[in-house]
Amino acid sequence: MAARQKKVSTPTGKSVFSTKGKVVCIFGESPLVEEYAARCLSKGFQVHVRLNGSSQRRKRSRGNTTHLPTGAKLVTKASAETYCALELTNTSVEAKKKNLLDFEKTLRPSTIIITSSTTITVTEQCTWVSAPGRLIGLGALPSLLQGSLLEFAPSPMSDESTITAAKEFAGALDKEPAIVQDSVGLVLPRIICMLANEACFAMMEGVAQGTDIDTAMKLGTNYPYGPLEWAERIGLRQVHAVITSLHRSYGEERYRVAPLLARAALSTHSQVDSVLR
Amino acid sequence: MIKTIGIIGAGTMGSGIAQLAALARFDVILHDISADVLKGAIVRIKDDLRHSVGKGHITSTEATEALSRIGASKTFGELGSSDVVIEAAVEDLAVKKEIFKKLDAIVPPHAILATNTSSLSVTAIASFTKTPESVIGMHFFNPPTIMRLVEIVRGKQTSDKTVMITSELARKMKKTPVVCKDTPGFIVNRVARPFYGEALRLLGEGIASVETIDKIVKLEGGFKMGPFELMDLIGIDVNYAVTKSIYEQFFHEPRFRPHPIQRQMVEGGTLGRKTKKGFYTYR
Repeated sequence: MAARQKKVSTPTGKSVFSTKGKVVCIFGESPLVEEYAARCLSKGFQVHVRLNGSSQRRKRSRGNTTHLPTGAKLVTKASAETYCALELTNTSVEAKKKNLLDFEKTLRPSTIIITSSTTITVTEQCTWVSAPGRLIGLGALPSLLQGSLLEFAPSPMSDESTITAAKEFAGALDKEPAIVQDSVGLVLPRIICMLANEACFAMMEGVAQGTDIDTAMKLGTNYPYGPLEWAERIGLRQVHAVITSLHRSYGEERYRVAPLLARAALSTHSQVDSVLR
Repeated sequence: MIKTIGIIGAGTMGSGIAQLAALARFDVILHDISADVLKGAIVRIKDDLRHSVGKGHITSTEATEALSRIGASKTFGELGSSDVVIEAAVEDLAVKKEIFKKLDAIVPPHAILATNTSSLSVTAIASFTKTPESVIGMHFFNPPTIMRLVEIVRGKQTSDKTVMITSELARKMKKTPVVCKDTPGFIVNRVARPFYGEALRLLGEGIASVETIDKIVKLEGGFKMGPFELMDLIGIDVNYAVTKSIYEQFFHEPRFRPHPIQRQMVEGGTLGRKTKKGFYTYR
């Protein structure tokens, strides 16, 4: 299986990919930036990061992503030497647009930009930039990097070389790449967030207590985490952003946010646990 | 105090529950209208107990004792000495109405009447008795000897005492009870809907293939099975029926709407593993 490979062949198969000395530049929000930075550092990349303003001001303690991993360099602009750029913002259109436009100012034209398309399709993001061929969408959501696969969504404008380079990058992170069509929530974020949304509806309607819903789903269906527990690992604002994006994208009642989830996502972090538990 | 447990229906669920009850040292009266089904149930229980002894989960003495505690009976009246009755008959409200009316007339006043229904209203079933406060849902998962969860479903009139005694009974059967309100699909069958529903939408919209969706869900999400593998295992007809039932019971709430792909597969007779063809092909 490709996911376990340490070295990735180039399309010609002649040379072997090495991460040594290569710079990955990550702009976006916490804790996605920290999670991807840690993963890239552990695979030998040099990592440059810039956290969105709001995230930098409010560093939150959440699992092992409390602060930037050692070795990550804080930057204000992307270096022209960047091998691969990552934009990881799911909750702010303005911040995402700014990051992508800033990338365009300083990156070489050949550098690919892997951008989270979990809440905004990469096709829509392509309309913001002047060279859409180098953009490819990514199903980025906090905590999902624990798995052994990355979901990519090319836009109709994505160059073939961009798709190849994205797959190569996934291989360098020890992840199997999967290519899916460009759609909000891609595959896994959409399924997990909808499970969490349904669990919130059930809890709100008094079907059972939150912890009991989690227990039931783990023991009754063998899910790796309870849906509410999973929502907390991902972050309620992130889950809320995915559902609202699905709702906007499809315009269907099916994707309306559970009011309990909306309230919990708007609460300050210290209150969130008590809202769902 | 509970001494005798009556079980109605000796299919997979009924026989599994009888085995659990006997292992928990209760006397068990296993009832079914068919002598053949009863005979098959006892064979299944014997085999399973032997398997458990082989694996070292129980001693051979425990297995022999458990088996000796199970009495199989075609006579409904023998259930009259039960302290608790767990009904695991077919999912048909008319059949359950008949059963609960008859039970109501023969069990002692302190008896608790539990139903293993997964899709019918516990409140509706309770209405067929004179003691709705003693009627409760006790929803085991298939196979009951393996799956640790029991949903304890509180009907509109179920008493706290009934909930307490039934939860304790589930614990004695080495299960984890989770109390929930009597609403369509209870917890698991309802909250799991998007796992299948969204996967079917993704497939129907051409966002990814069956194989890709399953692979993503397993490798990225850590699920043991992908949604399509799981639908093939459950039976596409069974999964479709559960979805339709919850959709109807919620008065066509769009979150639970079944997908045309499901209906087409059921109509085409490709029901999953049991027909060797579903989302995947099996040999």
